[in-house]
Amino acid sequence: MTVTVEDRAAPELGARAAPARPRRRLKLPGFALAIPAWAWLFAFFVAPVALVVWFSFGYKPGIFGTHANDVLSLDRYAEALSPTFFSTFQNTLWVGVVGTLICLVIAIPFSYWLAFKAPVSRRGILLAMVMIPFWTNFLVRTIGWQIILAPSGLLSTALQSIGVLDQPLEILFTRTAVLIGVVYNYIPLMILPMFVAFDRVSLPMREASKDLGAGRWSTFINVTLPLAKPGIIVGILLVYIPLMGDYITATVLGGAKGNMAGQMVANQFQTAQNWALGSAMAVVLVLTILTTVAIAALLSWLATWPLRARQRLVLGDKS
Amino acid sequence: MSHENPVRILASTSATKMIKSELNRRRFLALSGTAAGAALLAACSPQSGAGSSPQATGGALEGGLSIYSWGDYDDPDVVAEFSDELGPTITFDSFASNEELISKLIAARGTSGYDIVVPTGPFIPQMIENGLLSKLNLDLIPNIADMDPDFLGRDWDPTNEYSICKAWGTTGFVYDTTKISRELTTWADFIDAAQNEASGRTSVLDDPSPLLGIYYWANGIDWTTTDEADLAAAEAFLTTELAPHISAFDSYPGGAAIPQAQQILMQSWNGDARIGIMESDEPDRWQWVLGSPDTELWMDNWAIAEGATNPEAAHAFINYVLAPDAALRELDYIGYHTGGAGIEEAARAADLEMLDLVFFDEEQIKTMHTGKLTEAQQRIVEIWDKTKAAAGA
Repeated sequence: MTVTVEDRAAPELGARAAPARPRRRLKLPGFALAIPAWAWLFAFFVAPVALVVWFSFGYKPGIFGTHANDVLSLDRYAEALSPTFFSTFQNTLWVGVVGTLICLVIAIPFSYWLAFKAPVSRRGILLAMVMIPFWTNFLVRTIGWQIILAPSGLLSTALQSIGVLDQPLEILFTRTAVLIGVVYNYIPLMILPMFVAFDRVSLPMREASKDLGAGRWSTFINVTLPLAKPGIIVGILLVYIPLMGDYITATVLGGAKGNMAGQMVANQFQTAQNWALGSAMAVVLVLTILTTVAIAALLSWLATWPLRARQRLVLGDKS
Repeated sequence: MSHENPVRILASTSATKMIKSELNRRRFLALSGTAAGAALLAACSPQSGAGSSPQATGGALEGGLSIYSWGDYDDPDVVAEFSDELGPTITFDSFASNEELISKLIAARGTSGYDIVVPTGPFIPQMIENGLLSKLNLDLIPNIADMDPDFLGRDWDPTNEYSICKAWGTTGFVYDTTKISRELTTWADFIDAAQNEASGRTSVLDDPSPLLGIYYWANGIDWTTTDEADLAAAEAFLTTELAPHISAFDSYPGGAAIPQAQQILMQSWNGDARIGIMESDEPDRWQWVLGSPDTELWMDNWAIAEGATNPEAAHAFINYVLAPDAALRELDYIGYHTGGAGIEEAARAADLEMLDLVFFDEEQIKTMHTGKLTEAQQRIVEIWDKTKAAAGA
């Protein structure tokens, strides 16, 4: 079979005698299109991170200096990981992991319901209800919880008046208060990508699963969840990473007991003016986040191994 | 755009025609773009030391004024009146400790954009030495004559070349009398209550020096000590014996903690305690105690940051708030003695509320000591850091 391509424009213009000049080609290589993005990434991500890593090997020279790098050492890392500060990293990890899990437990059923069960006409309003609090200033929302959770606040008074508690609620300035705050503050970041992911799972797939005899639960586990997996992972990362570095929620609701690594880093840069130690703590925090994400990925891969092995489909005769 | 901002070029008659045609809009934009880029780069580069800021000479006031001060430290009405009468609009930003103020000024190296800053006395000499403050033009601040000479010419700035007293106060604590039935009077009582009735409901100031002060004042140690043995003892006490009972590091419990009854026992500055008690629904519930046997006397000072872009407005503002009438209203709002001459009589005559938290008698003032910025400062900050980490463990 032959394919002929006709140049329709040429004869009409009467340019038969002089063949049309080939269109001038752009000489730049393909990666040129990515230069702006690379420049952005380099100037606002690679360079600052490199600077932080560089500072972390230095030391604080005196009251009126913030950092010096003429003597390089790992001493700041030893300091950052000393028992006093290490406990703060443990705290942070606890809040980060438990907070993300609570978000997950709330967000999966909710976004599933929103994508499949909620009436389509209401969906816009329901999504708006998730989003609108998110438009309010982060700090204002968090301070709002301080007023609710205070021993003489709304929640405490309400619980006492209906007789659930016989003394004021002592929850503000504890890790529980920080957990409530972070779950409230970050959950929209998890619901939105999950809703999108569930929404994109095509109905025919789920119907096919049912037609082939799978029950509701089996369809959810074997069809819907694997198809929505990318969105779920995005949701988890979007919550877990900023949560680990959050220091506003911890400062406002946790007081002294909810101390998190983000606060420690902020203290080093603001009050202690020790950029070297602050940088080392920041690097440790980043490494903690990367390691835990890698461990979680590995664990989930291992956990689903038997499932995958069982479902492997072998075509043809191997023998 | 060329109508509003004509480009003027001095050139020979023969060249003008050519230049006119060459300097079309496009080229002009390119040129101005380059110039702006160069200016941006210049702004980013560190400025060298002292003497680079424009000194105020009494010229016209600028349109804006930026003040970097402690939280809620100026009467909004006085500020609004200043803007109405004299023009400049004021922007506020606040810090929680002198260290935070200094770190920001150092990091910006004269480009912080702040005009007025309010450092505490002992920090001033080194701030001057490091070129963070610029000299005041006292001719533009005639109202300094209304100040009580007792509060001028302090150790840190004997001739008031760089600073003028803004307010002074002291450190004590407030407790909830419905939860602590006994009477607390000293820092030792504070510690005892923190470890018992108020355990887990105690806040301390989020400021390194007064935190160590709790231990020093309770144990009769000079709070400006640089002796490593004292520092180590303070560290051991704070991180192991006090930290487990601390529920918050809060420099301004008067803002929310007292009105919302979040804590039982709070270390606080006198003016902040006054604000909190006055805003509480049950003012009788709260008892203020001046720290004893010894405590702090701090004095915050008006000063102008090196590199201030609005020096005329800054001088005008300082002069404005030193006037006796403005000073009295500031005192009523912030709850601190402003150092004005005869302000105590004026305040009593005006029958302002809770003046026992503002004015102190001579005996009490004798027990208050100003701090010092010493070589131990870094160690003090480190101890404060560790106490915070230990409190969260």
